[in-house]
Amino acid sequence: MDAYRRIQTGKTGDVHLVVFKDKKILDDTVLDEIKKEIAAFLGKSSGPDVLLDFANVEFMSSAMLGLLGQLHRKIAAGHGRLKMCGIRPEIFQVFKLTSLDKLFSIHKDAPAALATFT
Amino acid sequence: MAGVDVLIAEDSRIQAKILQRRLTDAGHTVRWAENGADALKLARERRPEIIISDIEMPVMTGYEFCKAVKTDPALRTVPLILMSTLSDPIDIIRGLDAGADNYVTKPYDPDYLLGRMQSLLATPLGDPAEEATLEVAVAGQKFRVQAGRQQVLNLLVSTFENAVAKNQELIAANEDLSLARDKLQQTNTELSALNERISTINARMVRDLEAAAKVQQSLLPPDDAALPAATVAWRYVPCQDLAGDFLNFFPLDAEHAGLFVVDVSGHGVPSSLMAVTVGRFLSPKVTDQSLLVRQRPDGGVAVATPADVATQLNRLFQADEFSGLYFTILYGVLHIPTGRLDYISAGHPALLLLSGDKPPAYHGAEGFPIGFVPDIEYAQASLQLAPGDRIYMYSDGVTEAMDKDQNPLGEQALADCLAASRSQPLPDTVAGLLETVVQWCQPNGPLDDVSILGLEWHPSGRP
Repeated sequence: MDAYRRIQTGKTGDVHLVVFKDKKILDDTVLDEIKKEIAAFLGKSSGPDVLLDFANVEFMSSAMLGLLGQLHRKIAAGHGRLKMCGIRPEIFQVFKLTSLDKLFSIHKDAPAALATFT
Repeated sequence: MAGVDVLIAEDSRIQAKILQRRLTDAGHTVRWAENGADALKLARERRPEIIISDIEMPVMTGYEFCKAVKTDPALRTVPLILMSTLSDPIDIIRGLDAGADNYVTKPYDPDYLLGRMQSLLATPLGDPAEEATLEVAVAGQKFRVQAGRQQVLNLLVSTFENAVAKNQELIAANEDLSLARDKLQQTNTELSALNERISTINARMVRDLEAAAKVQQSLLPPDDAALPAATVAWRYVPCQDLAGDFLNFFPLDAEHAGLFVVDVSGHGVPSSLMAVTVGRFLSPKVTDQSLLVRQRPDGGVAVATPADVATQLNRLFQADEFSGLYFTILYGVLHIPTGRLDYISAGHPALLLLSGDKPPAYHGAEGFPIGFVPDIEYAQASLQLAPGDRIYMYSDGVTEAMDKDQNPLGEQALADCLAASRSQPLPDTVAGLLETVVQWCQPNGPLDDVSILGLEWHPSGRP
């Protein structure tokens, strides 16, 4: 049974896996829920390794980037690593437009991303 | 009342148990049968002192049971109470005909039932020989009933007492009702007062939002804004009352003009507050806050480079201190005499250059949005304009405008639109681009703020 409404969670070794369930991440309320659920999932672990899987996401607002930025800074501050995968071209466009494809560690799919966590 | 021998005929096990418990507690001996036939058997085994019987029962009804008791020489003087819903006057006649001595209406109050028992036991039934045949008409029907005087009297009293009890219940119910009505009225009054308060608060919020929208308007160019040696046209359509987008242009000193488009993430009050805060730092007036111009020791004005402005903004507006809000900005400084444009892009869509007859070309500069990464330097890019060249700056509400199937308008469509209107006056091309965006978003209209700023450089006078 899923513990969260917006995200599916799991752990592979030390890597916290977050799969977004929504097709569209556009609404502010959806964003807020995602933010809270990720925070609840990561709990008090300081500087965890985290992989965000966007495979289900077809549309994403640029406000989501703000959330990713916060997560990135928080994880980096604890010397953890944040990686992303499963980003389709339309969504990648949002990253590219803001040059954030250069900031985030983006991989093709979950196996490819997990292999880089060693 | 001393303990007496009570017989109950009742088909509901629960009701029988409740009654049994109540009677046992009052010191009586209680026997219970599930129907009239069993009850009759028990009564014949040992003559009870009083019988309480339900009416609706399987095998043998209360009326039949009553009649059997009253026609049994050994049992006929045992007082019998029928428990009836008394929904029909005929019920009384039926009971009378069956020889019932008393009625208790269901649902009954146990104390009331005990009271009835007491008065029945206190007035022993008369000699059965006194029985007379009475004729009575009820509901258009004639009934002949056999009943003793005492029995009729008892029944009369019990039905009257019943009526009194029901009346009291009615009065009590009425009192409850009027209490409830008073309470309702009070609640209604409170609700009206609350409604009024909500309206007041609403009106205040509307006023506040209007005031905020006005403050936000102050971030936009005034009606008479103009630059020397350049034509500027702009369009700005917020998707809500308050927006995260704003744009402006103005002379910075005698030779330089500044122009920018800013897009704060999100919409509504938080984004617009952030926009207003950012706007204070993007002022062409020499103030403590302005990042664009500084007072030089010799009294002149120093124009900050776009790279310097972006680096300072990033230092001031770290997203974590603004609940995750960040913004993108395209900021350019045009050297009016030479047509050289220095600019930066902090995560903002590239600017579009229409030069001579050449196809439109996008010019971007790489840089993260403001507030994303602490302590970074922004790289500056430059463009050399030729007389008559046009540049367009815009927010992602233009290129990312979605049609009903969620397809974005895209950079190509933007370039095509402006290339097609190249021969028109600049203001018409900006208006035309906005029209294209609005049409693309039919039927719902744009879901993001739309900002467009166009500039044409013509150093040797207006075209």
